[in-house]
Amino acid sequence: MKTVRIFALAGFIVFVLSCQTPAVPPEVGQAREQENNLWRAGAAVYAKEEYTQYLASLRLAKDKLIKEKAKFGWFRNYKEVEAAFREVLTQGQALLQSVEEEKALKSRTLSEQLEALRERIQRIWKLILTINETQVVRRSLAQAEVAMMESEALLNKEKYAEISRKIEIIQFHLGQAEEAVFSILARYADEAQVETWRRWAMETIDESRKKGTTAILITKLDRTLTVYRAGKVAAVYNIGLGKYGLSDKLYAGDEATPEGRYKVIKKFPQSRFHKALLIDYPNDEDKKEFSQAKKKGLIPPQAGIGGQIEIHGGGEDSLTGGCVAVEDSVMDKLFSEVSIGTPVTIIGSLERVAELLASLK
Amino acid sequence: MKNLVRIFVLGFFAVSLFTSCARQPSQEMSDTRAAVDAAIKEGADVYAADELKKLNDDLTAALDEIATQDKKFFKKFGTAKEMLAKVKADAEVLKAAIPAKKEAAKNAALTAQQEARAALDEAKALLEKAPKGKGTRADIEAFTADLKGLEDSFPEVQAAIDREDYFGASNTAAMIKEKAAGVSEQVKQAIEKVKGKR
Repeated sequence: MKTVRIFALAGFIVFVLSCQTPAVPPEVGQAREQENNLWRAGAAVYAKEEYTQYLASLRLAKDKLIKEKAKFGWFRNYKEVEAAFREVLTQGQALLQSVEEEKALKSRTLSEQLEALRERIQRIWKLILTINETQVVRRSLAQAEVAMMESEALLNKEKYAEISRKIEIIQFHLGQAEEAVFSILARYADEAQVETWRRWAMETIDESRKKGTTAILITKLDRTLTVYRAGKVAAVYNIGLGKYGLSDKLYAGDEATPEGRYKVIKKFPQSRFHKALLIDYPNDEDKKEFSQAKKKGLIPPQAGIGGQIEIHGGGEDSLTGGCVAVEDSVMDKLFSEVSIGTPVTIIGSLERVAELLASLK
Repeated sequence: MKNLVRIFVLGFFAVSLFTSCARQPSQEMSDTRAAVDAAIKEGADVYAADELKKLNDDLTAALDEIATQDKKFFKKFGTAKEMLAKVKADAEVLKAAIPAKKEAAKNAALTAQQEARAALDEAKALLEKAPKGKGTRADIEAFTADLKGLEDSFPEVQAAIDREDYFGASNTAAMIKEKAAGVSEQVKQAIEKVKGKR
């Protein structure tokens, strides 16, 4: 009887020891870590719906765990819990991939948008360095560039939502810059205007050829001064113009460079700007235009027509008040080669710039 | 023997009465939730997002522990209460730390704003000093336009500070400073170019 009792007690001890509380499956901890990773990856932002579904699945799995943990230790069975958490982990893995893909797509799309805007900025820069009329344009460009730099910094920090607002700012300032460039260059895209300039240029060159004389052709858009001898190109020099040099001069102080057929009327061997050749601006056509503009109220009532338009030294990178500036060494050559009465024709361009403008719009 | 059985039954009912009728720590739960909400209201989601996430996770863990105990026959909410108390204390610490973090972000934004202002002023001063002549007028006009553009962008920094977007303000100010420094560098180069020509 005693032996039976001992066996019974031993059997009970073995039963108790063998019925240990089972451990919580490792998938539970893995899911916790995964959920943290998903949150850090921005799942709530980039895959809101799927993330909500994932959290619901995680909640269900946790509820199963709670239910199982509530049982008396010996009766706990985590098989169902383990399966539920495995499913959550699979769902989370797919979600993480989807979030990464979404972020990559967003980053790529925004990078492309910024790249397109960067190209627009570069195109305008190229244009303004050519036309040298920059006040409004550069002011807008500076603002666009600040917003562009901010966007690039935000892109690196993966703050995509804020970039969209910055892109709107960039587009606004670029629009203003392009509008300003367009208003300056509109005349250069007008076929009738360009045809007139071509005619003036051809007449000047023909006259030089027929008479065997020297003539000067200034092309404002190209920033060049071409010397013709007997109708043939003898030399081409770079020039500098005024702040509004691409516009046609209308009145004194507008800082524009006149367009038309002129001639040298005086030579100054000593000038504030090395040496100078004075041309006969305003000619009859200029006076007519000035009178019409004044009648229409297009110019200030007190404004005069202006004068003293010269080709002078001082350097091609000068900013004139409407004159044409060349390097002093060039001025020395011109001064000795050009005589009083030499035709000086100033035109905007020989080519239409429609394509150039089209690239802006 | 009869007495022994009675004692066991009575004891069983007494234990059941004191354990199965243990109540959820409702007050602690709502206090802890309120503490977390207060931290969020203070700006934890902006200035301490990681810490807030941990706080929310810890709160969920405490609530899960309550749910587990709630399902048990012998309920023990002691651990859950400890967990809630820790979350509440952490939330209060976090809430208390937010003003300092906010202040630090604000100070960083103000410093960035001052640096941007200084960079703009330096560029302007350089431009003022630049020799104004035929050779530099075009460059001066161009750089003046650049600086006007940066001046136009400058109020955006204050606007961001006013709406408490300190990180945005710092970012804008940093870019203005960088661009202004770029203009200063170009002005210096232009001055050097003129000096070289003389």
